[in-house]
Amino acid sequence: MKKVILIVSSIFALMALSGCGDSPKSKTVTYKYTPAEVYKETCAHCHGDKGEGKVEKKAPAINKKIVQELEMDLFDIKKGGLGQSTATEHEVMEHNMQKLTDKGYDYDINAMANYIFNAFNINK
Amino acid sequence: MKSDKIIEEVLSEIEKHEGKMSRRDAMKFLAASPIAASVLASSISTTDAQASSNVTGKIVIVGGGLAGVSTAAKLCNSLSNPNVTIIEPNPNSISYQPGQTLIGGGVWQKSDIEYKIEDHLPKEVKWIKDSVVSFDPENNKVKLSKGEEITYDYLVVATGLMLNYGAIKGLEGEITSSGDNAVVRQKVGKNGVYSIYFADGAVDTYKGIQELIEKAKVHNGPEKLQAYFTDPNTPIKCGGAPKKIMYLTHDRLVKAGVRDKVDLIFCPSGSKMFGVPEYHEAILAQFKARGFKWEYKTNLVAIDTEKKIATFQKNWLEKGEYDEDLKEYTMVPMFKDVERKYDFIHITPPQKASDIVGKSPIGSSKGWVPVVQETLQHVKYKNVFSLGDIAALPMGKTGGSIRKQYGVLADNLIAVMEKKEKLPSAYHGYTVCPLITSIGTVMLAEFDWTSKPTPSFPLDPTQERWIWWLLKVYALKPMTIYGMLAGRA
Repeated sequence: MKKVILIVSSIFALMALSGCGDSPKSKTVTYKYTPAEVYKETCAHCHGDKGEGKVEKKAPAINKKIVQELEMDLFDIKKGGLGQSTATEHEVMEHNMQKLTDKGYDYDINAMANYIFNAFNINK
Repeated sequence: MKSDKIIEEVLSEIEKHEGKMSRRDAMKFLAASPIAASVLASSISTTDAQASSNVTGKIVIVGGGLAGVSTAAKLCNSLSNPNVTIIEPNPNSISYQPGQTLIGGGVWQKSDIEYKIEDHLPKEVKWIKDSVVSFDPENNKVKLSKGEEITYDYLVVATGLMLNYGAIKGLEGEITSSGDNAVVRQKVGKNGVYSIYFADGAVDTYKGIQELIEKAKVHNGPEKLQAYFTDPNTPIKCGGAPKKIMYLTHDRLVKAGVRDKVDLIFCPSGSKMFGVPEYHEAILAQFKARGFKWEYKTNLVAIDTEKKIATFQKNWLEKGEYDEDLKEYTMVPMFKDVERKYDFIHITPPQKASDIVGKSPIGSSKGWVPVVQETLQHVKYKNVFSLGDIAALPMGKTGGSIRKQYGVLADNLIAVMEKKEKLPSAYHGYTVCPLITSIGTVMLAEFDWTSKPTPSFPLDPTQERWIWWLLKVYALKPMTIYGMLAGRA
């Protein structure tokens, strides 16, 4: 019995020493197109050549959002929401993004957010 | 021997003993002996060997919860001449919120999670017992409710979030987990309506489960009793809690021998169990094994607590016209309200930033404080940082996230104080959800923004294990209280 308790205790100690998940193993993902290419060939159809948005496509303007807001939106769109079972705020776009991903138009969230901000933001 | 090897061997030893020693025995033994806590505390203190920085500057931290106090402690450990002020009106602001699920499930008491801020603040920290009513980041000052203005050189925003029960038609109130909650408790915590998201509500929830059991014992007829569990369409604290309380309710019903009298139905606003596919599949399998029902995209919008009718908005997409540009059919969002009679409903409230923060210059259109996700530095005000529930970070509203955030924040804040160009530390979105799947088992779901499992141990992370139950119930609290609040783990 004592042995078991010692074992359990040492697990907790090891957990503390190991830092409990300090080294997420990052994998390098390569994308077929650059963010600029993805934007021109897909996003621009609805969000406009300069991110100004198109009412008839029900696509909002994205030329006033800061990088951080764009990142949150793109995370929502690509990962299907910001939580475990929380609804995404971009239901339709999430669907569209899946179709675009299937066609190879995938991108890194941070890189795309920076591209949109640097290329189109009218407040910077 | 490599640490991974040791863990593997230790675990196989435990598996061998599992038959001889019941979980209950192990738990009792652990509860009686402080070994785990002491081993833990001693091991984490030895890892703290950081060089002090001599820079000076007045740091003001708004909010004295887990995020604020851990950050204060870390800064005091790292600065040789710390000048840290914390602004917090509630003397009981620190509570071990992960324990609220266990209170709701009847495993812990409320006293198990309550802590006094004065017992945990480093002695160098000045505590102002008041609340901030406005932020003026252009002039580096905040205003307090009594009218006083506090200036700062550096600001840390750690206010936490608001539980917005009032956003559900039929309920009232916007509260915090350990503050005044009288307005919400007029309707929540009785008559079949419960919520573990605040400490008193968790106490009520366990009573509610007992009532449900009593009702089930005398229930006859073809229709089963209906127990609903909701999950709103806003970011929430601890994304797992809406499910954990469902697992615990199931377990209590099984133990009382009345599980067959009750339907347990999970109604989340979204369309999956978890953002990480591996955990989604694991949870689905757990749901099926327990006979749970679920309806995706079914968001609670109103409740009539007299008639015991909940109104959910159901959302779906319908195929629209073909779009030449997209080369796909467009999708049209549709929705309709449906009414459901309930016998028991567990409400996870919609959650928001307090308007004092959200509508101030440091807030954002959605309220949450916009920070650079990796550095936790405010996007506009370089001497302002934010962490915890109030920060605009994906998936980050858990104590496990804060554990990875406060060290990053302190390192980067000190770098700004030292006028360094590059901020040294980065947060990658690590968080952990010890998903309680029964009284005695937990699935330790660890993940980050890559949406991939990031397990700390060489074990299949999608399995429910009793060892994680011991971790959850006996080790994580001491780690939080002796480790994090002291800025050491």
